[in-house]
Amino acid sequence: MCTHPRPIAGTSPASWPRGRWRRRWRGREADLAREQRITVTVNGRSYERTVPVRLSLADFLRDHLHFTGTHVGCEHGVCGACTISLNGRTARSCLTFAVQADGAEIVTIEGLRAEDGTRHPVQQAFLENFALQCGYCTPGMLMTAIELLQDNPDPDEHEVREALSGNLCRCSGYQAIVDAVLAAARAARVAPPKPAVR
Amino acid sequence: MSDARFVNERAVGSSVIPDEAIPLVEGDGRFLNDIKLPGMFHVAFLRSQHAHARLRSIDTKAARALPGVIKVLTGQELLGKVDPFRSMPNRFSGGESVQHWLAVEKVRFCGEAICAVVAEDRATAEDAVELIEVDYDPLPAVTDPRRGERDDAPLIHDTCVNNYLIKREYERGNVDDAFRNAHIVAERSFRIGRKQALCLESRGCVAGYRESTFTLTLWISHQLPYVVRHYLAKHLRMPETDVRVIVPHTGGGFGQKASIYPEEFVCAYLALQLRRPVKWVEDRIENMVASTHARDQYLEVRMAADKEGRILAISSEVWVDVGAYSTYLWSAGMEPLQTAGLMPGPYRIGAMRYRTRGVATNKTPVGPYRAVGRPSASASLELLIDEVAGKLGLDPMQMRLKNLIPHEAMPYRNANNLVHENVNYVPCLELAVAKADYAQLRAEQERAGGNGKLRGVGLVCYAELTGLGTSTAVGPGTLLQPGRDAVTLRLETSGVLTIAAALPSQGQRIMTAMRQVACDELGMKLEDITSISNDTASAPYGFGTFASRTAVFGSGATIKAARELRQRILAMAAFLLQAPVERLTISNSIVHTIDRTSSISLRDMAEKSYFSAKDIPQELNPGFEVTAFYDPKFGSFAGAAHIAVVDVDPKTGHVEILRYVAAEDVGTVINPAVVEGQIIGGIAQGIGEALLEELVYDEQGQPRTVTLADFLVPSALEIPRIELHHANTPSAALGGFKGCGEGSTTGGLASVVCAIADALRRKGGDIHEFPATPERVLRGLGVLSPQG
Repeated sequence: MCTHPRPIAGTSPASWPRGRWRRRWRGREADLAREQRITVTVNGRSYERTVPVRLSLADFLRDHLHFTGTHVGCEHGVCGACTISLNGRTARSCLTFAVQADGAEIVTIEGLRAEDGTRHPVQQAFLENFALQCGYCTPGMLMTAIELLQDNPDPDEHEVREALSGNLCRCSGYQAIVDAVLAAARAARVAPPKPAVR
Repeated sequence: MSDARFVNERAVGSSVIPDEAIPLVEGDGRFLNDIKLPGMFHVAFLRSQHAHARLRSIDTKAARALPGVIKVLTGQELLGKVDPFRSMPNRFSGGESVQHWLAVEKVRFCGEAICAVVAEDRATAEDAVELIEVDYDPLPAVTDPRRGERDDAPLIHDTCVNNYLIKREYERGNVDDAFRNAHIVAERSFRIGRKQALCLESRGCVAGYRESTFTLTLWISHQLPYVVRHYLAKHLRMPETDVRVIVPHTGGGFGQKASIYPEEFVCAYLALQLRRPVKWVEDRIENMVASTHARDQYLEVRMAADKEGRILAISSEVWVDVGAYSTYLWSAGMEPLQTAGLMPGPYRIGAMRYRTRGVATNKTPVGPYRAVGRPSASASLELLIDEVAGKLGLDPMQMRLKNLIPHEAMPYRNANNLVHENVNYVPCLELAVAKADYAQLRAEQERAGGNGKLRGVGLVCYAELTGLGTSTAVGPGTLLQPGRDAVTLRLETSGVLTIAAALPSQGQRIMTAMRQVACDELGMKLEDITSISNDTASAPYGFGTFASRTAVFGSGATIKAARELRQRILAMAAFLLQAPVERLTISNSIVHTIDRTSSISLRDMAEKSYFSAKDIPQELNPGFEVTAFYDPKFGSFAGAAHIAVVDVDPKTGHVEILRYVAAEDVGTVINPAVVEGQIIGGIAQGIGEALLEELVYDEQGQPRTVTLADFLVPSALEIPRIELHHANTPSAALGGFKGCGEGSTTGGLASVVCAIADALRRKGGDIHEFPATPERVLRGLGVLSPQG
């Protein structure tokens, strides 16, 4: 926790590049405009695209592939709304470049439902436990919750809160979300789990 | 899809699973940034790097030459074409502030928009922003309201003497006498830092030219679609009927999205000029400086009490750092006037005096944010009550019990001229005390300390005026007096009921609540009722979602419209079934005689009404569409008691909340699970305010907390499990409903600050400044020396 607030270097507007630095920056324009061809599997289907190298994975998923379910809340890796599954582990898509995902397998919230359209058990638990209000943090919360239950099928409340501590929610105060994850864990113990995130 | 298991066979009172949640949980939400239109351009803003400066020149040549850039707009171009935002009239204004959409001649806060770049994509627009050269002539900045009001302070607005945007003095009852005759007088300072709503989705808009039959369509992440339409038309000098405003799924609002801002209006202007769709999405770094801030108050509060602990009078001096402009629509008066004016809360206080100021500074403007002035009013008063109780040897709970407005005294007009009735202040306190086992908490507090921590208990009571009708302005002196909203109910030819209201949700599930109300009033199946809430083209006129009002207004109007609609349905059914009206009722979307010998479905009736009208007498077929306006006139008081238990670590200054109990009166509850979510969410924002959230500026007016690594909001680890209980009593409004979206924020701040002060007092310490960062806690314990 930050007791002496100080700016993150380079993010205060007063420290944006000026003068000499800007001329060097402009010289790199050719680099900035460079593109690269990538192949990414998203929700089970392969996509081949040419993308700017500075494009984030979040923007690639949302704007190039039209998977708008993943949300952008801060673009600096803190809020967790952009969390997706990258090669089986959760990752911040806002801090990942699209070119870094070349050859990777990605699952987003759109990929959670079964082939017949049935919701993922954790999605169903969120719905039944009123674990979403505005819904903006929900995609990231779901991906994180699913990963938790894969690693730890029987978490206690503290373990759930700890696992979700990297996903901010401004609406709910977290209680309903925690209850939904605990309910999903209980339900999974009753019925045998089917593979969720591929 | 809804939960068919109703409590007592009534939809109202049942935790119906909201249909609104389904697309959101499946990843099919349509938030602002999900909207893409063919040929869309993107906007990025150049923002001021200085807190206070004259703009000598702006050189946009290089920016305009960048490939992919369509246009660079400056404030000069807008002069004479659009109307800037003049501060909304308020009886207590200190002067006028004029905010140009893009700064002209002068910038007054770091982050103020100076130019708008339109480009083929956002990245190119941002690259072009970097190429704009601005020649600033820096001016001395005002960064503290108590220095800013001095005669020698630099003036931010030439028309605002002493930088007062708002100033008011008020007195009722004989305050001087009360203080003279008091057994005890106590005085306390209170400071709460600057914060912001931190909606997880920041602002944004897509302005479309002739995207439908309307000249201008604005998709905007906002709480008040019709208000936006009204002011867009006014400021762009175009007919209101040429403008359509649509609110997509919105990721949080909390009042921050209830103000009128320049950026979206600039985008509307550009769309009309360029005749292409124009999109702007506020990124988080921008949001930290471009969207309204809240709180940032200094209070000096005095209390006079008798020897039994009865409060005789209160007196307060309030300074609010309201930022560079009087926020458009609500004015700079929101926090200064509410903090001072609502301080009596739920207590019987016969005499009060205040002097309050909203002082302009060179910071982002302050706008309405969840609970507005009530959290600091309550927190400062509650801390003072604890101090007086301590000096008198009274338990803090006993002192509150003595002073709460009891049922026997209601209706009770307080020193701030508000009338309290239909509210359970004392029952809430008694319930919280019982459920928390308050006596046991105090006993444990005596025994605690074995772990080296200081145990504190904070017990607070508050009043929350919700669902304000036309009799009361939203802020004293504001000439903007919302108070009437309309709902249209229409029975479609398929027998489905549509409820239309301009009451968008940001998670409150307003439309599910109204569907539940309509379900009970009309006897229809819940799944036969649908809703529209976000489009001025299809909803009747309404003010929108703010000030904890939609349950009262939306439900009240729904009830009025439903009763009229029900009469029409039964009158036509009586004809169709050849049965007397008194023997008819509606259940499960079917009209039937009470003995169920004959019936007709609403679907058949609606079809006949539209397609077989010649078979029905005209006077029985006026149409199954009813619009009703509802004005409850007066507000409905909600109330609560919250108890927080904390452990403070005297070595690190860290505060841990061990337990949190809340007893709330929120009137007749429509959807218990939704209400619980609102209450707990509010408590979480109050806890954030007490412990974590602070926007810091330096002496030059530069914002130092511009990322989420600096501005901290609570995570799942900082919010404890909330034990929520209810002592509800119906309001006098139609349906007995009250609002519940904001009040608990007050409890969250007040209970935690009182608990921390209580903990520090066990070691002879105290704390007056919040959020209670470890540094402030340690200073309060005398571990760190006070700052100079």
